[in-house]
Amino acid sequence: MTYTFIVLFGFAFLLLALLAWVLRGPTRVSRTDVAVGLTEFSDGRHVAFLPQIKQALAVQDSAYLASRGMHALATRVRRERRKIALSYLACLRSDFQKLWRLGRVISSMSPQVGMAQELRRFQLGLAFSLRYEIIRIKLLFEFAPLPELGALSEVVSRFSIRMETAMQDLGERAALAAKLASSLDGRGLDVP
Amino acid sequence: MPLSVQSVWACSILGQLIALTLLLLRRNASKIPFFTTYIVLNLCQAGFMLVLALIPTLSPDIFARLSWLSEAITLLAQAVATAEILGLTLRPYPGIWGLAWRALVAVSTLVVLILVWVSHARGTEQLWFQLNRGYHLTFATAVIACLALVRYYSIRVPSAFKMILAGFCLNSCVEVLVNTLIQVLFHKGYEVYQTAWLIVNMLSFVATLTIWIVALWKPFPVDDRQIASPSDSTYLRLSPEINERLREINEKLLRLWKMEARPE
Repeated sequence: MTYTFIVLFGFAFLLLALLAWVLRGPTRVSRTDVAVGLTEFSDGRHVAFLPQIKQALAVQDSAYLASRGMHALATRVRRERRKIALSYLACLRSDFQKLWRLGRVISSMSPQVGMAQELRRFQLGLAFSLRYEIIRIKLLFEFAPLPELGALSEVVSRFSIRMETAMQDLGERAALAAKLASSLDGRGLDVP
Repeated sequence: MPLSVQSVWACSILGQLIALTLLLLRRNASKIPFFTTYIVLNLCQAGFMLVLALIPTLSPDIFARLSWLSEAITLLAQAVATAEILGLTLRPYPGIWGLAWRALVAVSTLVVLILVWVSHARGTEQLWFQLNRGYHLTFATAVIACLALVRYYSIRVPSAFKMILAGFCLNSCVEVLVNTLIQVLFHKGYEVYQTAWLIVNMLSFVATLTIWIVALWKPFPVDDRQIASPSDSTYLRLSPEINERLREINEKLLRLWKMEARPE
């Protein structure tokens, strides 16, 4: 009885909390906003700075400084470079979020939405968030998570490829519909 | 029936009458016919219960069976009315609606399976209560899942529809909480807490009716949301641009990935 009570009571409370959350108005995204967001994303290019970040996090520089007896400078350099890496990470997340939002808007505009594709995007989002947090914690605790940083970029890349395929499909369908509409207008269906 | 129950019941009838009047006066009844039918069925159920209560020769067992039967009919009408509101909300988004109904089926099946696993009814009376609770839990979960999907895709829901759905969910959640709590607090039998159960459930329904009255106070605005269609000129203009930008980003990222993969 107690077990059932906890499960059902907890479930009902969870539903009430979720209800309060889902009833908050969503951020409205219009088609103009999509265009603006796209420009912003394109101008962003944070993802392209990975080699520099990789260089900044490499141990060789600080090891060289330490070997020359400049321990204080080595520590300072390492701290500053980590700050830069953290900023880069935040920008990478911003890039990903913009793409993710864009994907949702495209889906809402599309007359057909594939469940597998949507689940894949959701999965990518979860994977990205998890990796992001792990790398951030590692950076904060002064580890150099280079392989993970590479993997994070890979997630963004894979997502971008998927978005392109989806958009290509939509574009083709739109072009086909326009073509059909124009051919119908031209010929006229009400021939006696 | 105790006076307290009668008072809350009268408030509930009054609320339903106001809601129905508003639906007819503001010409919203034609826009949401199933919801209007649900309100009418609720009023009919109240009348039916009154007639049953006035029959002195009716045995308590038959009274309970008939009451639960009328409840089942209104619950079915509630599900249809909710599907109608969700359908109207997602009508301009056929792709999302296709995704939503599949998500609803999946979530509902999952909840029903969980409920079957955790519920152990002893006797017919308990079975009715548990079926009722199971229905409300499944209903609330399905509607909230659908609303979460709507929120995820940033779809604008007319506030009146949102309030109607919120009312349904709130009522269902309170029913589940009350049924579970009272079941645990009183082990002696359902008859002991019937009055408390009735009052709390009816109060939650009165609260729901108040939300609906506020929602129905004004006529529903004209749905100006654009239907997602490939022939939409804005979409046609925007789509190639998005495509091109995405291709640019993709190429940039691919170059980066190749650079990363190259041994130093």
